[in-house]
Amino acid sequence: MSWIDRSRGEMSRSEVWVTGLMLLCCGIGTTQSTVCVSGARASDTLAIEEESAFRVAADRAAGAVVRIEAIGASADGIGGVAEAAPATGSSSGLSVAANGWILTTSFAVPKDATQAIVLLPSGMRQVARVVARDLSRGLVLLKIDLQDGAELPVPAVSPRSELAVGQWTIAMGRAINHAVPSMAVGILSATNRAWGRAVQSDASVSPANYGGPLIDIQGRVIGILAPLPADTAGMMTGTELYDSGIGFAVPLEDVMRVLPRLQQGESLFPGILGIGYQSRDLMTAPAVVASCRAGSPAAQAGLRPGDTIVEADGRPVTRIAELRQVLVPHYAGDTIDLVVERRADNAAPHRITSHITLAASLPPWRRAVLGIVPSRSVRPQSTDEGDREGHQRNPKRGGPSKGVTVAWVWPDTPAAKAGVIAGDVIVSIEEQSPDGRAGGTEKVPVDSAAMLAGLIGGMEIGQRLRLSVLRGKETLLVEVAPAAMPVAVPENMPISDRDVNQTTIQRLEAPEVAKPPLAVLPAASSEQPLGVLVFFGMPAAAADQTDAARAAVWKAAATRYGVAVILPGSNDPQRWGREDMAHVARAIESLRSQRPIDPSRVAFAGRGAGGSFAWLAAEAIGPAVHGVAILDATLPRQAIVEPAEPGGSRSVLLSRSSTQPVPKLDADRKRLEEAGYPVGILPDLVGDSIPTEILCGWVESLGVL
Amino acid sequence: MIYYGQQSQRGHEALMVAVFCWIAFGMGAAQAASPEETIAGAARKVVKLYGAGGVRGLEAYQTGILISAEGYVVTVMSTVLDADEIDCVLDDGRRYKATLTGVDPRRELAVLRIEGEDLPSFSLQESPRVTVGTRIFAMSNLFGVAVGDERVSVQHGVVSGIVPLDARRGAYEAPYRGDVYILDCTTNNPGSPGGALVDWHGRLIGMLGKELRANASGIWLNYAMPIEEVARGYEAIQAGQAATPSDSQSPAVGMLFDALRMGVVLVPDLLDKTPPFIESIRKDSAAAKAGLRPDDLLVAVNGRAVASRTAVQQALADLAEGDPVRFVIVRDGAIVECDLGQRPSDARKP
Repeated sequence: MSWIDRSRGEMSRSEVWVTGLMLLCCGIGTTQSTVCVSGARASDTLAIEEESAFRVAADRAAGAVVRIEAIGASADGIGGVAEAAPATGSSSGLSVAANGWILTTSFAVPKDATQAIVLLPSGMRQVARVVARDLSRGLVLLKIDLQDGAELPVPAVSPRSELAVGQWTIAMGRAINHAVPSMAVGILSATNRAWGRAVQSDASVSPANYGGPLIDIQGRVIGILAPLPADTAGMMTGTELYDSGIGFAVPLEDVMRVLPRLQQGESLFPGILGIGYQSRDLMTAPAVVASCRAGSPAAQAGLRPGDTIVEADGRPVTRIAELRQVLVPHYAGDTIDLVVERRADNAAPHRITSHITLAASLPPWRRAVLGIVPSRSVRPQSTDEGDREGHQRNPKRGGPSKGVTVAWVWPDTPAAKAGVIAGDVIVSIEEQSPDGRAGGTEKVPVDSAAMLAGLIGGMEIGQRLRLSVLRGKETLLVEVAPAAMPVAVPENMPISDRDVNQTTIQRLEAPEVAKPPLAVLPAASSEQPLGVLVFFGMPAAAADQTDAARAAVWKAAATRYGVAVILPGSNDPQRWGREDMAHVARAIESLRSQRPIDPSRVAFAGRGAGGSFAWLAAEAIGPAVHGVAILDATLPRQAIVEPAEPGGSRSVLLSRSSTQPVPKLDADRKRLEEAGYPVGILPDLVGDSIPTEILCGWVESLGVL
Repeated sequence: MIYYGQQSQRGHEALMVAVFCWIAFGMGAAQAASPEETIAGAARKVVKLYGAGGVRGLEAYQTGILISAEGYVVTVMSTVLDADEIDCVLDDGRRYKATLTGVDPRRELAVLRIEGEDLPSFSLQESPRVTVGTRIFAMSNLFGVAVGDERVSVQHGVVSGIVPLDARRGAYEAPYRGDVYILDCTTNNPGSPGGALVDWHGRLIGMLGKELRANASGIWLNYAMPIEEVARGYEAIQAGQAATPSDSQSPAVGMLFDALRMGVVLVPDLLDKTPPFIESIRKDSAAAKAGLRPDDLLVAVNGRAVASRTAVQQALADLAEGDPVRFVIVRDGAIVECDLGQRPSDARKP
């Protein structure tokens, strides 16, 4: 259609009009009063002139906006769990240097794309080479060879320092129609998002313009439109936000700073420090180190569990969020300055400054355990309180630390082999050098099970340790080296002496949840808190059992092992969906307010579609889930499988899917094991039965240290 | 490098424009109505429709546009209209029974009639110029939140793109394949279908479509059918010429055309999105004559990007018998274009 096309002549004409209007408003002072007098009409004309201004701005940037076509990319489209659509391969890109350098997103050109093609505004196709990726911001740098000294336009950069929330922004792309770039208009909503890596706009940002520019009203590029980095807000991907009035762009100014490195073919990775925090509450808790990964930059710099990070790159840090704000924008290879505060026993805290070079990856981490189950008492499990009490109590009492009582020792584990028995109290732990001599680190007093978990969690398999153990009035020294977390369920697990008649079946009411999930709740006390198993069965429409029957199946096993079993139903009768995850999170909160629960033994499981969903739900809810059992199903395609981290590891049980071939099970197992997760394989399920005994016993075993 | 901006050369002209504007303001010659007046004027011509539905996933309400003083209303053909009685409510609360005059299945357009006189209405004769960037208001009965004499809801935005519709919802494929306006405000809401798209002068420029996902990206579309197309559908219905569904469906929707019939053997389809590499070429075929070779990677068929093996077969199926076929391939890191002559017929040869 001819009226779609716009000639260059018209563009220049509208530029003239806007310039004219600017002169009118700014240049001729006396006109000001005239405009006010004719009030309404001036504002009406303003609306029309604004439209012209949007067009002029878009026209200035348009020449630098290209279409990207990816061939053979298997990216799951968007829509998350419930609806996955195939990606088209069509997206947008931005020219950033005249001789054929194009930036786009990893959404447009995923890692497995066979070939990327750049379609220039002229309609000419060019083969593109993937030169480098920025894995921190999800960008890809492409290079095309331009013929005969041809050049691509390069847009001006809108400086980050000039950005103001509320200013006009225009999101552009060429995926909708390659001949005429698309426009979506909105305002700048925030200048600092995704821990400093993105700005936010309410212009419509979607797969239709990812990779294109977000420009200001002068036509300068603010940033590259991109999905929210997946690690930002507990979202699985940022792509679901497209109709929400929330869009993101990676500031071009930041990208231009690292462009020479990308042009050299250097891919950029998020910088990793290698620590786990004592608290998961980013917004209020101080940055107290719970664990340091062996071989990590933090460990090499000498950081230790118990250290509090108080300053980063010269900025004071009082909460974990402030530290993340400094850390996350950094790439691997960047050096940061950290100041930590350390308290030795009975001594005043002192400050230590370190220069730490961040790493791109850490050696694969596997959960190492001694094989003991600590005595369960809810109070010391709360790390925040334990820490605060510890700081106040120790100097006053001046006595030895309280220690952790061993409730049970798992047979054939390092602790069992070293002769540790139930009733022993572990009071301190000391790392030893490989040749057996103590040295390097101090003897660390053990105050709580959580602290012991943090200490052991940061250690490598085979690290030699010396434990001080109190048995009766004797103090023993036990030499032991942690081994890989076992997955098999031990046969002689201690069985609780709970009365099955005290186990109740009830609904876990929670605000805003229409269909509260059913729960099987054994008796519990603060000395005997419950483990938690959330079991996702078939979606509501496919479940042929009544609620009562579903719950009854679990009663015996739940009582025997002291596990609260939550049985959610799907909101959509056909499938599990995102809203179900939110309901489960609320149900767990509701349970927490009713019964003492042990946070180290929280697991998700499911069968069939529910099994795949259990994995996604665990990923969404995060490190609070310590085990996932996927029965008669496979890892879902959307699974991210983040490498295991101290405090963020999960034991995984798999059983063969009746609808998928065996190689998929092996592939899943390999993928999980490579990411550092302990994986166990269950025998094939028979009929519709659910192995409740095995699952509840497995939940019980997750609390092993 | 190429930089934009030729204002300096045109500074003189710009100053003249400024002076002209100043004179225009001074003389009170500006013609534009305020956005509030524009909306108030347009909203009188948008009606709320209530009909069948109410079952899960199907709403019993949508929106319609008055296009004549005698009470003709255009809207989107949908299950809402499968009712014995369709209620039509104007923005002043007046309530009419509407009767279905006719439908155009290809455009999924329906015309209703209410018994009224001197009703406020849009003109279908005007066709204002619309381009990417045109500011718009979208007015509709979204989510059925406007009740009684409450005016329909108004959203604002710009026309984001203009492109042929290629969309579906579940197994339902949208039959209309002509151009639509892609909007940058969220109009894919229950009740929005049939809503009015007006420019900032208050002129009708389009009708909001039903909730659909783009075939290509899977995202929900915010779109409207251009008013010229609505007018064509309306005239066809009034003339009794609207096509029936059986003879108006796009011929090859959902069908595949095997590239083998032009002599191209693609690599086996093992992955979800197998890249369309050529495995081998049949001797003496159109592909052989065009110079295609094994290991060539197909990237476009007649200008349309083909991201996978299936996309190649879809692109070929969407061509008609006898259409010229042109492949774009990547060979040794360079783009090569090949003409394969005319596309054979759909019927398989023995």
